[in-house]
Amino acid sequence: MTQTFLSANDLRKSFEHVQAVDGVSFTIGQQEIFGLLGPNGAGKTTTIRMLSTVLTPDDGDVVIGGHSVLSGGNQVRKIIGVCPQSLALYTELSAMDNLVFFGRMAGLGGREAKAAAEENLDVVGLRERAGDAVSKFSGGMMRRVNIAIALMGRPSLLFLDEPTVGIDPQSRNHIFETVLRLRDEGMTVLYTTHYMEEADRLCDRIGIMDSGRLIALGSAHELKSGVGDPDSVTLEEVFLSLTGRSLRD
Amino acid sequence: MLELKRYVADRGALAFGLALPIALFALMYAVFSGEGFDGTAHVVDLDGGPMAAELVARLEAVEGLEVEIYTEEEAERALDRSRIVFAAFIPAGFSENLAAGRPTKLTFRQRGSGGDEGRIVMSIVRAAADELGARAQVRAAVGRATEGGGFSEQQVDEAVDTAFAESGGTPSIGYESRVVGGSGDFLDRLLPGVLVMFLLFAVTLNAEAMVAERELGTLERLLTTRMGANELFAGKFLAGIFRAGLQALVLLSLAFAVLTLAPFGSFAASLGVALLVAAAVSAVGLVIGGFAKTRNQATWGAVFITMFMTVFGGTFFNVGESGAMATLSNFTLNKHAIDLLMAAIHSGPGALADEGVAIGVLAGTCLLALAAARLVFRAVEQGR
Repeated sequence: MTQTFLSANDLRKSFEHVQAVDGVSFTIGQQEIFGLLGPNGAGKTTTIRMLSTVLTPDDGDVVIGGHSVLSGGNQVRKIIGVCPQSLALYTELSAMDNLVFFGRMAGLGGREAKAAAEENLDVVGLRERAGDAVSKFSGGMMRRVNIAIALMGRPSLLFLDEPTVGIDPQSRNHIFETVLRLRDEGMTVLYTTHYMEEADRLCDRIGIMDSGRLIALGSAHELKSGVGDPDSVTLEEVFLSLTGRSLRD
Repeated sequence: MLELKRYVADRGALAFGLALPIALFALMYAVFSGEGFDGTAHVVDLDGGPMAAELVARLEAVEGLEVEIYTEEEAERALDRSRIVFAAFIPAGFSENLAAGRPTKLTFRQRGSGGDEGRIVMSIVRAAADELGARAQVRAAVGRATEGGGFSEQQVDEAVDTAFAESGGTPSIGYESRVVGGSGDFLDRLLPGVLVMFLLFAVTLNAEAMVAERELGTLERLLTTRMGANELFAGKFLAGIFRAGLQALVLLSLAFAVLTLAPFGSFAASLGVALLVAAAVSAVGLVIGGFAKTRNQATWGAVFITMFMTVFGGTFFNVGESGAMATLSNFTLNKHAIDLLMAAIHSGPGALADEGVAIGVLAGTCLLALAAARLVFRAVEQGR
C-alpha cells in the first residue's frame, strides 16, 4: 500500500440507544480507491459523516492528510470533497450555479470556480446542460451533478457515499469511469456501496461493515480467498459466510 | 449571494413577494383613504307640500348624497330592522308653517348614534333646512312689509333671491372631505400594521429556509466545506433581512409616493426601522429553524409566533395603555415596531430618539435570538 492518507482509529458513534458505529479502524493509502461495503444500516454513512467532520465521534479519532478531524476540522475540510448519499442540490438553480456556489464554498475565486465548474461538468458529461435548472434533469444526471460538486476545489480525498443508487446503467458506467480517472489523476477515493459487483470492479481494497463493525478488510481477491476459490467466489458469498446473512437482507 | 440567487430564480415567489405588498397597499388605500363623501339621506315626507319638496330637491343637489323617500311605516320598519340607522321626518304642516313664517321642526330618528354616515347626513339635512327656513322667514317678512304696495309675488321672490345672493347666503349646501396625506386611520395604524405583517413573514421564511437546507441535504454538504457555521448563519440572517427589506422598500415607496408624505427623512427613518424589525424577526426565524425537525414544524412554530404577535401586538388596533392586552403587547415585536414606525412616519428620524425602549427591544431581540439560534444549531448539529 502507498503512503497512508487517512487513518481511522477505533471510531464509535451512537444515536440515543443505537450503536451505529462500534470501534471501526482502517487506513486508506494515497491514490487508493477504498470500498466500504455493507447492507443498509451497517454504519457506512455514519462512518463517512464522522470522517468528513459532519459528526463528531463519541470516541476515537480520524487523521486525514496529517490533520485530526477533532482538532483540525477546518484543515480537513480544505482537502476533502463529499458526495452524500442523498442528492444535495439546489434544484431551482442551474447545474453551473450549483457548482460555482459550492466551488466558492470550497475556497475558489469567482473565475476559478467557473472554470472548475465547466471542467467538472465535462468530467461527468453534463457540459451541454450546464445552464439548465437541475430540476429538469433525470435522476442519473442529478447524481452526476452531485458528484461534480464534490470535485469542486480538487479535493485530495473524495467521499462517494452510494453514488450509484437508483440510476440507469449508462450513468453508472459513466460514474465508474470518472472514479477510475480521478484515481489515476492522483485522488484518493472512499467509496461506499451495497452493490458487491461495484466494489469488485472499482476498489483496490474493501472493508465490509455489519452492525456498526468492520468485519473484514482486504482486497477483493484476499477476501474471496478466505472463503474459497477467488475466481469463482463472489463478494456476496464472502459477506454471507461472514455474517450468515445476505447483503440485501 | 446564493440565497438571493435562489430567491430570484424562483420567479413565482419573487412575483408574489413584490406583487402582494403592492396589491394589499392598493386595496387598503382604496378602502380606507380617498376624498369626498358618499351617503344616503332617508327622508319621510309627511307634509307633501312645496317646501318639503324644495328641501328634498336641495338635498338631492348635494354632491355625493342620495335621497331615498320612505313612508312613515317603511321608515319605522327599516329602523326597527336596522336596515337603516337614521331617517329625517318632515312633519305635516311644514310648508304651511314656513310660508307663514311660523316655526316648525324636522324630526330625526336614529338607531344608537346613527353612525358616522348618519351624523354627517343629519348635519347636511339640518343645514339645508336652516337655509330653507331662513329664506322662508325673509320671504314672509318681505311679503308682509310690501303688502298693499302693488308688488307681485314674482317681484317679491326675485327681490328675496337677489338679497340672498348679494349677502352671500345663496343656498349652496355642500360637503367635501379632503384628506391630506391619507386618512388618519390609514397612516396611524394600517400602514405600519401592513408593513409589520409583511416583515413578520420573515419569521416563517427564515425558519423554513434553515429546515429546507437540512431536508435538501445541502446543509450537511455545506458543513463539509470551508464555510464556517457562523458564515452560514450570517448568510441566512442577511438573506432574511434582504427579502423583508425589499418588501418594506416597495410598500414604503408606494405609501410615501401615493400619500405624498413629506420629507425624505421620514422615509429613510421608516425604512431603517423596517430593517431593524426585519433583523429581529429573521433572527427569531432562525431560532425556530434550529429547533424544527421538519418544514411543517417550522411553519407551524412560525405561524404561532406570528399570530400571537399580530393579535396581541395591536397590529391593526390600539391596545390602549392598561389592561391585559396592553401588558401582553409589550411582549410582542409588533407593538414596538408599530410605535417606532408611527414615530418615524409622522415625525421623522428625530422622533426615534424618544423611542429608546422600542429600539432596545427590537435590537435586543435580534441579538439574543441570533445567539440562541447559534447555540441551538451547535447542539443539533453536533458541535458545529
